[in-house]
Order: sequence, then structure tokens, then C-alpha cells
Amino acid sequence: MGEVIVITSGKGGVGKTTTTANVGTGLAKLDKKVVLVDTDIGLRNLDVVMGLENRIVYNLVDVIEGNCRIKQALIKDKRYPNLYLLPSAQTRDKTSVTPEQMQKLAEELKEEFDYILMDCPAGIEQGFKNAIAGADRALVVTTPEVSAVRDADRIIGLLEANEMKQAHLIVNRLRNDMVKRGDMMSSTDVVEILAIDLIGVVPDDENIVISTNQGEPLVGSDTLAGQAYMNICKRILGEEVPYLDLNGKQGLFSKLASLLKKN
Amino acid sequence: MNNPVIIKGNKYGIVVVLDAEMEFGELKEKISEKFRDSAKFFDNAQMAISFEGRKLTNEEQRDILNIIADETELHVVCVIEDDPKKEEVFKKALDEKLMELSNTTGQFYKGNLRSGQVLESETSIIVIGDVNPGARIVSKGNIIVLGALKGTVFAGATGNTNSFVLALDLNPVQIRIADTIARSPDKPVKDSVKETKIAFLEDGNIYIEPLSKEVLNDINI
Repeated sequence: MGEVIVITSGKGGVGKTTTTANVGTGLAKLDKKVVLVDTDIGLRNLDVVMGLENRIVYNLVDVIEGNCRIKQALIKDKRYPNLYLLPSAQTRDKTSVTPEQMQKLAEELKEEFDYILMDCPAGIEQGFKNAIAGADRALVVTTPEVSAVRDADRIIGLLEANEMKQAHLIVNRLRNDMVKRGDMMSSTDVVEILAIDLIGVVPDDENIVISTNQGEPLVGSDTLAGQAYMNICKRILGEEVPYLDLNGKQGLFSKLASLLKKN
Repeated sequence: MNNPVIIKGNKYGIVVVLDAEMEFGELKEKISEKFRDSAKFFDNAQMAISFEGRKLTNEEQRDILNIIADETELHVVCVIEDDPKKEEVFKKALDEKLMELSNTTGQFYKGNLRSGQVLESETSIIVIGDVNPGARIVSKGNIIVLGALKGTVFAGATGNTNSFVLALDLNPVQIRIADTIARSPDKPVKDSVKETKIAFLEDGNIYIEPLSKEVLNDINI
């Protein structure tokens, strides 16, 4: 039986979709069978970030309304054979799906996949309720800004009210130089407010923009963000991975040292 | 009046509406008749009773109560007089008693209060956990937070000026005690030490002070 993970945030634009794409790809790299479900009905973009937009024929609403079988709507990733995407419908709205229907869908996907990642829409409306309906655990994404943290707090409250068993925090777009100057909250500050376990800190990295635009998740690549995402994947699988040293750019020397360590 | 005795229910018990014209002896018979009929319905309930529609002397009242005792199993706890002035006095006394009660009794809440969540309480409240920005506590008594208080709190919500707010890390967005409101500075004080602080009302101002022995001595619960 697989596990359903919902990726949520409250505030928009903090990197839910990027996180879903990268964590999903990372888990697939680690030989897990993964499906990414875009639950943001009305606005879809997980397929764009994954570079799979041109292959969409059927979508989530088609599956739920019984217009097609699940297998027909799943899009196989072009790079990893055990990674699939279930895209969202763009011409419908969030009310065309109920939480009960999502729960049923999640149960069905669980039989086939190791991990089902639900990319949740921003906000706390129907779309959020749909996305968390069948989820076993949650990844709450926030950036180190008060508005994002505040909304994340509200989301965690709602998750607790819905008896979510496990919720972990991802602090996204952290800029270590700003933290050092005292102009940005550190991940410790964020964790202190939200009081849930941290599962990863992703540094602000311009490679993310490049990878998103190219539709190629950078998880596992030789960038700080790529490594950070890979570490999150490993922690999801239960491995204990030390946190990245985000202190500035990696010098040649430290890169050499880390290469040596790997061997 | 074709129905000289009417029994009505209200929040506390029953109201007996009596005919003003009828001769008292005749009325008594009607009353016993009426209560005999409804004895089953009342069973042995406990309730307060009040009379309407007719001025009764103490003796007449006692007569009626005796009839009720004879005819039914009903326990009349007290007789309430239909007098707005007296009612006002009772209400005030009750409120004062309740306020005292809300100050001295408390309830516990375990867990973090998060943005958007509201905790309201008739009594004092002790939160074991943090109160985050955007969360709100309203209590008629005191508020004690065993954790960080960063949200909005309202102590003494019914106007009790003796209420206080206490937290291990007192850093609220807004504090209200009775009718007085205080807010946090627009620019947060940097490097402020985390220590247990108490907020209380004095001369119409809210003061926040570290919890010391002197401050503790001044609190009357």
C-alpha cells in the first residue's frame, strides 16, 4: 500500500508545485513508484513544470466523472519509467470534485503506487479540502516571510483539525546572506513559530527558475537546491540525512572535500 | 376569561397566569384542577415558579403552593416575583458572583493555537502551548500561557478590571483587559529577552512587567 502526501502552503507562490515536481522526481530516482496529482482544478501547472503539458489527453475530472479509466489519464514521465502525472482539469472549477471522490481516488492509486503526491492549490477553500481528503501526511511549504509563515500556521491548524497524522515543514527560498545580516527569518525562527518538524530547507537558487522553465526538475543535480530536494526525499523515506551547509557558495575546496567524502 | 388558570413554561421553570377578576376561593379550585391534570407531565421536576396576572398576598401565595404540593410531585425551588427592579438586583448579584467565579476557576487547553483559531472561555484559561500571531483568546477571567504568546488576547471580557495576562514569552499583537486596549509597538524591539511577564490593568493603563515577587503580591484573584 502506498502513502499519500499532500504538499500545501496556504499562501500562493511559495513553491508548492516546484516542490511537488522535485520531490516526486527525487523519489522516482530513488526507485519508488510515484504519481503526482495536480489537484488545482482550474489552474494547472504541474504538467508545465514537469515538461509534460503536450501529452495531456484526459485529466483528474475525467477520471472522477468516469469519462476514462485512471490508467488512461496517467501520463508517464519522459525520463523516469516509474514516475507518473495525473494532470488537473483547466476548464472546470474546484466544486466539480468532492473530498469523498478524492478520497476514493487516493485509495485506488495507493494500490498501484508507493507514493502519491498531491499538489494542493493555495488557500483554504474547496480545493484545499479536496487535496487533503485522502492524505496520510502533509508537507507544508513556506518561505521565510511573515505572510507566508502566518498562512502556513493557519494551514497547520486546519490540518490538525482534520486529524492529519503527520505534518512536516519545508522552508523554501532561504537566503543565507540575508539571514546572516538579520534581514530574513532563519529556518530556526520559522520552526519556532510553527512548532512542527522540519524536513528540509531549500536555498534560494536561480537554477530553480531555469529548471522550471525547461520542465526538468533539478533534484539530485549538482546545485544546492538540487541537493536540498534530494535530502528531503531521503528523509521522506526515513533516512537520517544531515542538513546542508548553506553558508555561501561552495568553494572549490569544499566541493573537492565533498567529492572525496562521496567516494 | 374562559381559562382562569394558565401554566406557561420559561427558562427557569413555570409561570402561572391567574385571572384577576375571579373570587379567590373559586380560583383555588381551578388551580388544583389544572395542576391535577398536568401532574403527570411535571412528574417530580425541580423548578422555579412565578405568578402573573393577579396581585397575591403572602397567604394566598402559600395557599397556592400548598395546592401544588398536594396535587403534584413538583418541587418548587423558589417563587420568583415579577418585579423588574428586583430582577435587576438579582441579575447584578449573579453577574458579580459569576465574575468572581470566572476569575478563580480555570480551564486548561493543551496544544498550540494557530492563526485563525479562537479560544473563548467563561472562566480563566491556561494554555499549555504557544499562541501564534493571528490566533485569539477571549476569557472572562485571566489568561495564562505556558509558552509563547504572540497572538491577540482579551482578558476580563465582561469588564473585570482585575484580570491579568501572563505568559512565559509575552509578545502579543494586542492585549485587551476589560475596556482597555494595548498593542505591540509597530517596530519590534530587537534582542528583547524572553522572560515570564505579566500584563495587568492599573489606572486605566495596561502595564507589562517581568514577573517578580512584588508584582505577584499585588495580584488579587
